[in-house]
Amino acid sequence: MKNNIYILWFAGLFFTISCGLDNYDEPGSQLFGQITYEGESIGLRGTGEAVQLQLYQDGYELDAPIPVFVKQDGSFEATLFDGEYKLVTRDQNGPWVNDRDTMLVTVNGSAEVNLEVTPYFMLSEVDISLEGKNEVTATFTIDQIAEVANAEYAMVLLGKTAFVDDVVYIGRQDLSAPQVGNELELSMDVSGIAEVEANGALFARVGVRPVGADQAIYSDVVRVR
Amino acid sequence: MKNYIYIILPILVVLFGGCSDILEQEPDQILTGNQVFSDEVIIQSVLANYYGRVTWGQHTNDSYSYTVLDEAGKCDGGPDLLQTYSDDQWRVYDYTLIRNINQFLQGLRETPILDEDSRQAYEGEVRFLRAWVYFNMCKGLGGMPIVGDDVFEYTGGTDISTLQYPRSTEAELYDYIISECNAIVDFLPEEPSINAARATKWAAYMLKARAAVYAGSIANYNNKMPNPIRTEGGEVGIPAERADEYYQQAHSAAQEVINSGKYQLNMSDPDDLKRNFYEALSIKENNLEVIWARDYIYPGQTVGFTRVNIPASHAEDIDRAYAGPILNLVEDFEYADNRDGTIRTRDAQGNYIFYDSPEDAFENKDARLGGSIIYPGAEFKGSKVVLQAGQKYLENGQWKERTGQPGDRGDDKDLITSVNGPTTSNQQFINKTGFFFRKFMDETGGASTRGRNSEMWFPRFRFAEALMIACEATFELGQKEQALDYINQIRSRAGIQELEALTFEDIVRENRVEFAFEDHRYWDLKRWRLAHEVWNGVQNDPEAQQFALFPYLVNAPGSPNDGKWVFDKQPFSNSPNPRHFQLRHYYNFLDQGWINNNPKLVRNPFQ
Repeated sequence: MKNNIYILWFAGLFFTISCGLDNYDEPGSQLFGQITYEGESIGLRGTGEAVQLQLYQDGYELDAPIPVFVKQDGSFEATLFDGEYKLVTRDQNGPWVNDRDTMLVTVNGSAEVNLEVTPYFMLSEVDISLEGKNEVTATFTIDQIAEVANAEYAMVLLGKTAFVDDVVYIGRQDLSAPQVGNELELSMDVSGIAEVEANGALFARVGVRPVGADQAIYSDVVRVR
Repeated sequence: MKNYIYIILPILVVLFGGCSDILEQEPDQILTGNQVFSDEVIIQSVLANYYGRVTWGQHTNDSYSYTVLDEAGKCDGGPDLLQTYSDDQWRVYDYTLIRNINQFLQGLRETPILDEDSRQAYEGEVRFLRAWVYFNMCKGLGGMPIVGDDVFEYTGGTDISTLQYPRSTEAELYDYIISECNAIVDFLPEEPSINAARATKWAAYMLKARAAVYAGSIANYNNKMPNPIRTEGGEVGIPAERADEYYQQAHSAAQEVINSGKYQLNMSDPDDLKRNFYEALSIKENNLEVIWARDYIYPGQTVGFTRVNIPASHAEDIDRAYAGPILNLVEDFEYADNRDGTIRTRDAQGNYIFYDSPEDAFENKDARLGGSIIYPGAEFKGSKVVLQAGQKYLENGQWKERTGQPGDRGDDKDLITSVNGPTTSNQQFINKTGFFFRKFMDETGGASTRGRNSEMWFPRFRFAEALMIACEATFELGQKEQALDYINQIRSRAGIQELEALTFEDIVRENRVEFAFEDHRYWDLKRWRLAHEVWNGVQNDPEAQQFALFPYLVNAPGSPNDGKWVFDKQPFSNSPNPRHFQLRHYYNFLDQGWINNNPKLVRNPFQ
C-alpha cells in the first residue's frame, strides 16, 4: 500500500506542476469598432452570423482569419491578444461595394476603429408608426451612395423583440423596385398577428435590398409600441 | 513474491519459445497490391468497394436529406429548426478515394492475369467512378485540383510543395470530366448491367451529358446575375461564351443514349400510368429506363428508406413516418387538363369544396404524382392509406374541428384521427404533412422490418434524364422544335397535355416533378442560379415555406355534406422556418484544414 502512495504522489506532482511553456493567459485586449459611411453608422442584419469581418495576423505559419460578427447597429467587438492585425470585410458579404483592402489595427490593451465602407444606399428621414392594431406605416427616403446601385426591394419589418431583420420578424411588407431619392411611404396590414393583438412591445425598421448584394441595409430599430 | 517469478518465468518461456510459426502468419485481412492483382475475384471486390463509396447528397440512405429542401418535411418528433444551409452542405472532398482509384489503375495496367479487353473494361469502370467523384466535388466546390493518374507518395525529405496542386478552374474541371467520359466510352460494355449497378457506356454518356449541361447553365445563368459569383482565377464561374459549346456537348451525349436502342421510357403498364411511373423507378426486374443506380441486395446491402417512411397502417416494424412529402411539391404536379396544379380546397367565396372521398381531390392529376407520392386515399400494397387529421363539425354555422390521438375513435366508433395522421404534435412515428412517399417505397414483404430492410435501388441516371438534358440543351441553343419534342415525350408518358410552346419555367417545373427525390432539385436550382430566389427565406412564401394538407371527415348529421371530405392547407408545423438559401451557399466553403495543408488552395467567394 505504501508503495502505491509514493506512486500516486509522483503522478500527482507531474499532473499539477507544469512550466509556463504551454500555459498562457486568455486574451484580454478588446477591439471595438463600428462600420460607418462618412462617420454615420449603418444598420445591418445582426442575426444568423450574417455579416462578418475578418481579422488576419501576419507572422504565423497558418493564416486562418478570425471571424468578427457584426451587430445590427453596425458595431462589432473582439477579444484579442495584443498585436497588429489586419481588418477586412468578408468577400462579397455586406450591403456595400465589395472592397478587400485591409485596414491595419494595432491592439494594445484596447483599440477602437471605424471601418469605412461604401454602401449602395443609405436610409434617411425614417419614420415608422403603428396605428391602432391594424397598420404599420413607414415613411423613408432611399439615398443612393455607390455610383452603380439598383434597389431590388424595400421592406418594412415588424418584430416583437429589438432584433428585427429580413429573417427575424413577425410582419413584413415588401415594395419591389422602390424609387430612389424620393420619400416613400409603405404601409403594412398587421391585423390578425397574434403578437400585435397581445399588447406587448413591438419594434420595427425599414430596409432596402440592393440588387446583387447578399444583405440589405436597414434603418435603426425603433420601438413602435 | 519470489515464488511467483519462478512460476511465471517458465510459463513465459513456454509461451514464447514455441516451435511452430504461429506468430509468423501472413495477414489475411490486409492484402498487398500483388495479391490483389493476381486474382480477378479480388480485383472485383476492390472495385465493389469503390462503388460503395460514391453516394453523396440526397439519397435514400439518409431520409433527413429529403427534408431540407422543398420536397418533404421531417415528421419524426419535434420541429426541425433549420434556419439556413450550412457552408459545407453536401460537400464532397474525397482525394482518398481518388488516390485509391489511381492505385487501382496502376495495378490494373501492370497485372498479367487479365486480357486486354477485360483490362479495358475495368479501367473504364474505375475511371468512370473517378470522374463521378470529381463531378460531385465540382458541383459543390467549383474547380478543385486535378491529380490525373498520379499516386502520390511521401517519404521523409520530399519537398511537399511538389505535392500541393492549385485548384483548377471550374471550366477545366468540367472539361476534364467530359474528356474522361469521352476516353472511356469505348472501354465500357454496351449491354446494360444487372440492376444497372455497374457502369456502362451509356452511364458514361449520361455523366458527360449531365456535367456538360451543368457547366453550360453555370456559364449561362451565372453571368446573368447582377453580381456574378466568380473568383479572379476562375476557380468559380465559367465564361459566358462557353455556354453554347457545353450545351452542344450535352445534347450530343444525351442523343447517344436516346438513340442507343438499349433504354426507353418505361411503358410496362400503359393502362395505369401511375403504376407505370412507379415501376419505371421502383421495380428493378426488366427495367429498361434506369441506366445507373446504387443497387441494394439482401443480405448485407440493404436500405432503410421503406422502413422509416412507411405509413403506420402498413408498417411491419416500429419504425414509420419519418418524413412526408409536402404540399408545395404536390401542387407542382399539373392536372391533365389544367397546368395549374393547385389542390382545390375552397371555392371562389372561400367555402369548402366537399369531396366524396379524399382521393377525388387528386383526380386527373399528372400520373407521376401517384407514382411518386401517396396522397390521402391512395393505395399502397393493395390497400388504402387513410390520412385523416380529424373531423369537421358545424357549430353555429362555423366549421370546427375535432382531433384526437392517432387511431382515436369517437363515441360511435367512428374514426377521429387516423393512425397515419396527419397531426401537428411533437410525437414520433406520425405523419405531419398529409402525404407519404411512393417513389422508392418497396412493396416486398418484410422490406420495412429492421431485420431485413429493403433492396430498393437508388437510380442515378435514367432515360428520362437524357430526354430532359436534350430538351434543356436544345432549348438554350434556340432549337425550340426539338426541345418541344423531347419534353412532350416525357409529358405524354405522364398522361398530361403536350406543350405547344416552351419556356424556361416549364423546364424547371418538369425537372422538379419528374425527378423528385432523385437528388436533382438542389443542384438544378443551384446551376440555374434560382436557389436564392426560390428559397428566399421569407416567412409564408409559397415556395420557401413548407406547407401541409390536412384532410378532415365531415361529421354533420342531416347535412348533405355528412361523410364527405374537406381539406385545410396550412404551413407545415414541424419546420417553422422558411427555406433560406443565401448567395454564399452557391459554393461550399473550403475547409481551413485543407488550406493549411495546401496553401495554394484559394478560398471561394463569400468565404
